[in-house]
Amino acid sequence: MIRDSKFFIENPYGRWIRDNLFSSSSSAFLTFFAGFMVIYSYRGIVGFILNPERMWTSVTYNMKLYMILAYPDEAMIRVWLSVGLALILGGLSIGFYNSGKTISLGGIFQKLFTISAVIALLIALAPTNTNVIQNDGSIEVVEIIPQDVRMLILGPSLVLTLAFFFLRNIKIKNLFNTAKVNLTYFGLIIASLYFIKIPTISLDSSGERIIPDPFLPIASTTYIPWTILYIGMLLFFFIGSLLKNRDIKIMARLIPISWFLCPLFIFSWIFKKPLVELNTVFSADIPSILVFGIIGFLIIRFSDNQSIGVYRTPINIGFLVLSIVVFLLPLVFIFKATMVLLLLLLVVSPAIATTKEGKRQLFIVWVVSLFVLTFLIRGASSDTMLVTPTGSIFGGFSLTWLLAIFGTYASFPLGLALALGRTSTLPVIRIICTGIIEIVRSVPYITWLFFASVMLTVFLPAGVEFNLIIRVLILTAFFSGAYFAEYIRGGLQSIPKGQYEAANAIGMNPFQRIFLVIVPQALRTIIPTLVGSVITSFKDSSLVAIIGLFDILRIGTSVIPAQSQPVVFIGRNLEQLVFLSFFFWVFTFVFSRRSMKFEKRLGLGER
Amino acid sequence: MSIIKTVDVKKWFGDFQALKGISMEVAEGEVLVICGPSGSGKSTFIRCINRLEQHQEGEIVVDGIELTNDLKNIEAIRSEVGMVFQSFNLFPHLTVMQNITLAPIWVRKKSRSESEEKAMELLERVGIPEQAQKFPGQLSGGQQQRVAIARALAMEPKIMLFDEPTSALDPEMIKEVLDAMKELAESGMTMIVVTHEMGFAKEVADRVMLFDEGLMVEENTPNEFFDNPKNDRTKLFLSQIL
Repeated sequence: MIRDSKFFIENPYGRWIRDNLFSSSSSAFLTFFAGFMVIYSYRGIVGFILNPERMWTSVTYNMKLYMILAYPDEAMIRVWLSVGLALILGGLSIGFYNSGKTISLGGIFQKLFTISAVIALLIALAPTNTNVIQNDGSIEVVEIIPQDVRMLILGPSLVLTLAFFFLRNIKIKNLFNTAKVNLTYFGLIIASLYFIKIPTISLDSSGERIIPDPFLPIASTTYIPWTILYIGMLLFFFIGSLLKNRDIKIMARLIPISWFLCPLFIFSWIFKKPLVELNTVFSADIPSILVFGIIGFLIIRFSDNQSIGVYRTPINIGFLVLSIVVFLLPLVFIFKATMVLLLLLLVVSPAIATTKEGKRQLFIVWVVSLFVLTFLIRGASSDTMLVTPTGSIFGGFSLTWLLAIFGTYASFPLGLALALGRTSTLPVIRIICTGIIEIVRSVPYITWLFFASVMLTVFLPAGVEFNLIIRVLILTAFFSGAYFAEYIRGGLQSIPKGQYEAANAIGMNPFQRIFLVIVPQALRTIIPTLVGSVITSFKDSSLVAIIGLFDILRIGTSVIPAQSQPVVFIGRNLEQLVFLSFFFWVFTFVFSRRSMKFEKRLGLGER
Repeated sequence: MSIIKTVDVKKWFGDFQALKGISMEVAEGEVLVICGPSGSGKSTFIRCINRLEQHQEGEIVVDGIELTNDLKNIEAIRSEVGMVFQSFNLFPHLTVMQNITLAPIWVRKKSRSESEEKAMELLERVGIPEQAQKFPGQLSGGQQQRVAIARALAMEPKIMLFDEPTSALDPEMIKEVLDAMKELAESGMTMIVVTHEMGFAKEVADRVMLFDEGLMVEENTPNEFFDNPKNDRTKLFLSQIL
């Protein structure tokens, strides 16, 4: 028998192959079958991509359209600032949370060996010919990878594979920090922008396409900003490392908060370029901060006062009524939004503001969050100074991003509130929350989207009008909020009764029990589900294409295939779909890998 | 002066009557061991003392406060009464140190540094100061139960309730937990212990009670209880367990 030959018994690779691929006749069959399927699909995909019928310039030429649609050219610096802010924050976090993990030179070569081996294999397996359908319906076989081209790529990659195969056993003691190694890889990608040439289109002065050189280097407006951003990222990586070495504790809180606020800041101030009139700042923002600052101070100051504590229930009810009144009155939006924050303060202050130090800290947090909230809302609620032909500054990927991030931000707290409400012992709250969840979940998302685009204006009071994007955001918040609520409820149910009893036995009040003991554990158990749900809402955001918003999918399926200027891209659907699937895949894949690491870190010490 | 007093406490689970009228008193500093077969209502009874279960008839007075439906009373009593469970019930998402300091910080409103100092003292007292930064899941059962004792003690309770604290432990870990409890009893803590550890009862208890089918069938000093029981049910129980 072949299986008992020397190779399959003694060689570790052979052994692995025998144990994992050919352990029985049925597994051998499955191995061959799956291998055939993989190779067959791979050759099909390569044949499709390299088919001379395809016109990939329709993707590369429209990259800017895909990302930001009609965002004005003169404000491009704002787009780069947005990306730069995220990269800088990323650099800071990588430096600060650097785990100090190291990799040896041999380890790096091992990885390079794997990569080059896979590349060599892929090139060897690539098809030589593909079928092109002619106008008359007949099929013509066209050579896409001539043998000399194949050899030209295969040769060097085989040489590299061999080189890395021997290099990976190198015995050098030097260890490299993985964070720095990864940053170097990223730097190499940026550096390659200077050399890589991609098929694109250049026009001469009269608007005609210059045919002779279809392969141009990537535009300098792309690689120069990326270089600057990369240098900024490196700079902040070292700042982060410095802060870590200095052991500055406050950064451990500041960085997550910055990550949370960063998209809000980008969307409301950088991307939007809001038109801020000093008039409204003085008449609305500053009074709001002063009034709510003083009310908050009073709440914090007297939250543990015995003689007032007797009236706590009437005071709470009073505030609730007040906030409803504030919502119904035609007041500035900042007042309404800050009122929600005030209600939150009212709930948490009896639990936190019990010592002098606690009061002081809570007051600082209160004032800072007042300023942040007012600042963000001022940006978000002001008109934009940018003029775009489509009327909206969000389009393409920036719209997808906006929907995904805001959908998650709004739906998560809503979902948590609905879940807690549904498990509440108070029947009124329970019935309302159950009702919302069941109604929202039992209607398809697309129906809700049409509802947002057509019906919502009918339901709103006269004179209240929201932008279509805002209406979609509100409905998305409810829709994913309802799903979040059910996932969180599942998490809540998985907490053993003993945890409630233990929390009770040490004298916690219901609020402390829920938010210190139960919810942290419940959320931890459902992180995989929550990540799945965030990914779903990221992908589902492309459904807004059907109600007339220009998200990245709509651009790919209806804008680009209708282009006739400067080059005719009419009917170029397939290229866009391939690109879009790849694009979405990259984002969701990176996201799910990140979340797996996050899970591992949180799972520490758990059974 | 008795610190716990119960009068004719009755409790039903649906149609099943778990407690059929228990009247007893515990003096300050006393160690009371309750034993009995499973289903005899002994766990239910001590869980009524800090209102983890609600009794339907009778009267329970703890430290001069009567247990009623008033939430204020219940929270006041719970912060005076520490409880250790059979299944530890530590908070798995918090470190040992955080488990112990959670209640002092949030319920007793103490400062973090003060609570952590106190927590280290307690961990030393139960013999595991080196485990402070670990998570409960990384500790053995015996260590977890000792953390649970430290967590209950961090509230500086006047009374400690132990609900079968050693039943879920491997035999070789039982001793370390019992030692911690012995030390606690010697320090003058009022304790009610539901347990099957007869050695512990003999050595440490001031009084031993036997529960059967929701009734207290025997109440005696340890020596009398083991050597000269009054009730036939006690004799039967002892013959089966010893």
